[in-house]
Amino acid sequence: MNPPTSLAEHLGRLPRLLGGDPAAARQWMAAGPKVWLLTSLLWIGVGAGLYGAALGTWRAPMQAVFNGIKFPLILLLTAVGNSFFNALLAPLLGIQIGWRESLASVLLSFNLLSAILAAFSPLTLFLVWNLPGPDSGWNATQDAYATILVSQSVLIAFAGIVANLHLLRVLTSLAGSPAPARRLLIAWLAANLVMGTQLSWIARPFFGRPNQAVQFLRDDALRGNFFEAFFLSTSRLFRSDDKTTPHSP
Amino acid sequence: MTPPPVPPSGQNATPNPPPAGAGSHSGPEGIGDRFRLLLGQPERFGRSLEGSGSSSLMTALLATALLGAVLYGLVVGSFAGGVQWWAAPLKIAAGLSLSAILCLPSLYVFSCLTGQEIRIRDLSSVVAGMLALDVVLLASLAPIAWIFSQSTSSVAAMGFIHLVLWFVASGFGFRLLTRALPGAPGRNNPALHVWCALFLLVSLQMMTTLRPLVGTAETLLPTEKRFFMQHWGKTMSESE
Repeated sequence: MNPPTSLAEHLGRLPRLLGGDPAAARQWMAAGPKVWLLTSLLWIGVGAGLYGAALGTWRAPMQAVFNGIKFPLILLLTAVGNSFFNALLAPLLGIQIGWRESLASVLLSFNLLSAILAAFSPLTLFLVWNLPGPDSGWNATQDAYATILVSQSVLIAFAGIVANLHLLRVLTSLAGSPAPARRLLIAWLAANLVMGTQLSWIARPFFGRPNQAVQFLRDDALRGNFFEAFFLSTSRLFRSDDKTTPHSP
Repeated sequence: MTPPPVPPSGQNATPNPPPAGAGSHSGPEGIGDRFRLLLGQPERFGRSLEGSGSSSLMTALLATALLGAVLYGLVVGSFAGGVQWWAAPLKIAAGLSLSAILCLPSLYVFSCLTGQEIRIRDLSSVVAGMLALDVVLLASLAPIAWIFSQSTSSVAAMGFIHLVLWFVASGFGFRLLTRALPGAPGRNNPALHVWCALFLLVSLQMMTTLRPLVGTAETLLPTEKRFFMQHWGKTMSESE
């Protein structure tokens, strides 16, 4: 397989990358930061942007625009924000790759995630369009919210699993053996999970509550964190008193 | 060094390309042959798409799908009559086309994920073939649907019959799809089976979104959004 020379050729290699071809992945990574940053901007920007916009249409057209900007930003900031830590982890866990290769590997998996989400964005839009809107009364809104939450969690989990399985193949081909590749993947996943969830927390709302204005970021965006809210919600489930108080996620 | 042989005057240096699907596949030559493959030999139908300029085939398949959908829609519309004579065929043709368009990107990604290198054009041809087969089967089952429509006044019963016929037709359509995809046979490909379930779900929801198809309503399109299971549940309870 001849290595692609132009940006268009690199973009055209997406099917091979989705097929988990490690040779294609390594060619993409070897093309240099200019190529993989541009292709990532396009794939993540368009792919995750389309998906975010489809999801946001449930609340309001402006929420779709905001989500179309926020989704790609979260992925790109997660990749860049963790890049130095990820690069340090690689040699520590037995894979001799530098900052460039580690950032390219993470970006590649996010590209694949975005491509899968983009392919499902027409279906997401169709689902959201068929659900009762946020002004359809308490019960209907709660049902719609739950449907979106469950279906999209399944979709994102599927896309994430596929992207990480592909990343594992790339890391295995870089490491030469599966054991260090698995260790590094788990470590990267943990780091990206912490960074990604907190960025998502700051970037809320994605659906938005009907009684709140549509906005890019909440006024209290930097207040609290996902894990604190998760802990409070979990402890609330096991507490017998005070369950009638409205919960504010 | 021996020079390469010069072709005789009036002949091309390279042989004429074989007709689409011919040559190593010893396949069919015309659109009619491809239709026969669609019914009986889905694997060969898929192989015949590889590298062929299949725009005329795709046009023929889409035209067949639309014509078949309109024919079956006429039978569906005959139950209620009136505005449904034209609304039902139009909605069924539009609904099937929209379902295919919505699901095509995910089929492409599923195909790529399973390592198949397939052009979006070939994939579109296979999907067009699946739709054509679906509606040809539905059209062939139309007499059965028509007989039932003349002997019942229950919207729920007629809806159930159309649903069963759609399941039968789409089952054969999925069989074609999983066998005809160029690159690798997908008979045991879980990703394609997931996609088939997804397409079925979308088509059912699409028909609910475009209701009424069988019965009548005050408006041409619904004013209330409903999940298809919820709609059927309501239709069934109203008929009891």
